[in-house]
Amino acid sequence: METSFALTGKGYVIIAADTTAARSIVKMKVDADKIKVLSPHLLMSYSGEPGDTIQFAEYVERNIRLYQIRNLYALTPSAAASWIRRSLAESLRSRNPYAVNLLVGGYDTTSHQPHLYWIDYLGTMTEIPFGAHGYGSYFALSLLDRYHDPEASLEEGLSTLKRCINEVAKRLVVSPDRYTVKVVDKDGVREVEL
Amino acid sequence: MLDMHSVPQQQPQGRQFNPYTENGGTILAIAGADFSVIAGDTRQSEGYSIQTRYAPKVFRLTDKAVLAVNGFAADGNMFVKKVRQRLEWYRHAHAKDMPIRAIARLIQTMLYARRFFPYYVYNILGGIEEDGTGAVYSFDPVGSYERETCRAAGAAQSLVQPFLDNQIYFKNQTPAAGTSFPSHLPLSTVLSLVIDSFTSATERHIEVGDGLEMYVVLARESTALQGVEGIGGVQEITMTEEGHRVFVIRRELKKD
Amino acid sequence: MSIMEYNGGSVVAMVGKDCVAIASDLRLGNQALGISSNFQKIFPVTDRIYVGLPGLATDLSTLRERFRFRVNMYTIKEEREIEPETFARLVSSTLYEHRFGPYFIEPVIAGLSKTPSGGVEPFIAATDLIGCLNFAKDFVVAGTASAKIFGVAEGLWEPNLEPEDLFETISQTLMNAVDRDAFSGWGCMVHVITKDRVITRTLKARMD
Repeated sequence: METSFALTGKGYVIIAADTTAARSIVKMKVDADKIKVLSPHLLMSYSGEPGDTIQFAEYVERNIRLYQIRNLYALTPSAAASWIRRSLAESLRSRNPYAVNLLVGGYDTTSHQPHLYWIDYLGTMTEIPFGAHGYGSYFALSLLDRYHDPEASLEEGLSTLKRCINEVAKRLVVSPDRYTVKVVDKDGVREVEL
Repeated sequence: MLDMHSVPQQQPQGRQFNPYTENGGTILAIAGADFSVIAGDTRQSEGYSIQTRYAPKVFRLTDKAVLAVNGFAADGNMFVKKVRQRLEWYRHAHAKDMPIRAIARLIQTMLYARRFFPYYVYNILGGIEEDGTGAVYSFDPVGSYERETCRAAGAAQSLVQPFLDNQIYFKNQTPAAGTSFPSHLPLSTVLSLVIDSFTSATERHIEVGDGLEMYVVLARESTALQGVEGIGGVQEITMTEEGHRVFVIRRELKKD
Repeated sequence: MSIMEYNGGSVVAMVGKDCVAIASDLRLGNQALGISSNFQKIFPVTDRIYVGLPGLATDLSTLRERFRFRVNMYTIKEEREIEPETFARLVSSTLYEHRFGPYFIEPVIAGLSKTPSGGVEPFIAATDLIGCLNFAKDFVVAGTASAKIFGVAEGLWEPNLEPEDLFETISQTLMNAVDRDAFSGWGCMVHVITKDRVITRTLKARMD
């Protein structure tokens, strides 16, 4: 089943999402990248109803880009997350709502702070030190309660992430076997291999 | 012209007799060091109608055990009747009153015997243990039970229980440096808390009100009565000469 | 599954002597699963008005944005700060606009209104999810632990409490109530609004 995690550390945010695109009981694709790079210092993982996810993620991606072109600077993570939340909240009470859950992580270049937002398909948003979506959340959140450290180095953060992934692999019946992992910090966005 | 063939076809109709109803009200019991207070309001209602303003929910079983029943009144009354019958048989067989610890277990087996057609009642048993300490036993409708210091049940349980957590168990409070909280409160404090709990519940819950009955069970040689001389309307209802004493205090509650 | 209990959370407001207090828990959940233990439900409207928004968390964010917009428009047009009662009416009409497709929020308002003599008067109010106002003289409650808060508040509250005593009363009321509610808790936040300042404190509470 679809699973995504994210955690903050000293000056960075890590987001991990599984790579499977499933339809019913069939894996249609095993190398899908479900983490969009919205701007030089902003990441967004997306999961939920197939179709809605890509449609909504691309809508967000293009609009964040448009803002950057028009204003010559990117939105801060909090501003971007607020705009995304509002889009989902407006969609919720429309004829055909998007069923998409998001983790928005970014590095605020004005205050030099990492920020992570948990957003669900209803438009519920909260800033968190760590979070997860999907069945993985039932395993990962208790681990992160125990091991998360907001002052941890990137290496320590990645090893905490590995604990979560291993736990899900061990205990979840329908666990994913591959993840994309992306990091955002003062140097921007990059993908890392675990 | 009436067409005899157009008589409406008999459709199969489902009918289900519902053997249960809810009669509102709230009960509450608090254990002291050598006494126990068991209380209940006297309103009996069904939906928005008051059936009677005086229907007792608290019953003296022996001189050291009082039972409060709340939920479906018909089941409650029948259950008390059956418990009393079993206690009488015990007296005939053993020439003494059953200890409260044994009454509690008896109630469990009687409730669980009806596991698949339960008495729709929440029971709270209060009284004096054989070692002379105040006891409160609380039950669910199918017989799960535990001994506690205090318990509220019924319509206003959600209003009263957190108040008791705070005032009896001192939850979310820290004692002043060098002091500690008492594990049991004096009778005067307990009675004030019971009266406050019921006036509060009466204020905010439509199914609670009319009258309040507080039973006080005192252990042998208990001095708990000292300090509560000021409380009026106390009536002694002790039956035996064994030394345990039972009192009932009746109070009016708002009737709106 | 009730929409009003989907995210959990509770708010209470109380009147004191020349002061008011408003407090909430800090939990955000998805039914039984806890998501955040730092989710604020109370927001300042002016220096002397606070509003608590328990209910569905997405509507909490939306309403917070809407109220900020409408209060700002009021301030610009009227060239003065909004009064608590006026704000309560604004809340009520905003909710009633969505009478047949409501926001799933039951707002609680606490503030100090100005008297003609230059003093202040405590004001609290609460509405249901379609804006039916309740102006109480003692305390108002809302959220998943509302019945429990009512019970404790009715036992602890008394008239004319000084700010520090009111703080103690509202804190004890909220903490003991949310400890008996599975959908509320995970910490509490209290604001006591007085003539001169607002005292804001985060309470250390049970985290289970």
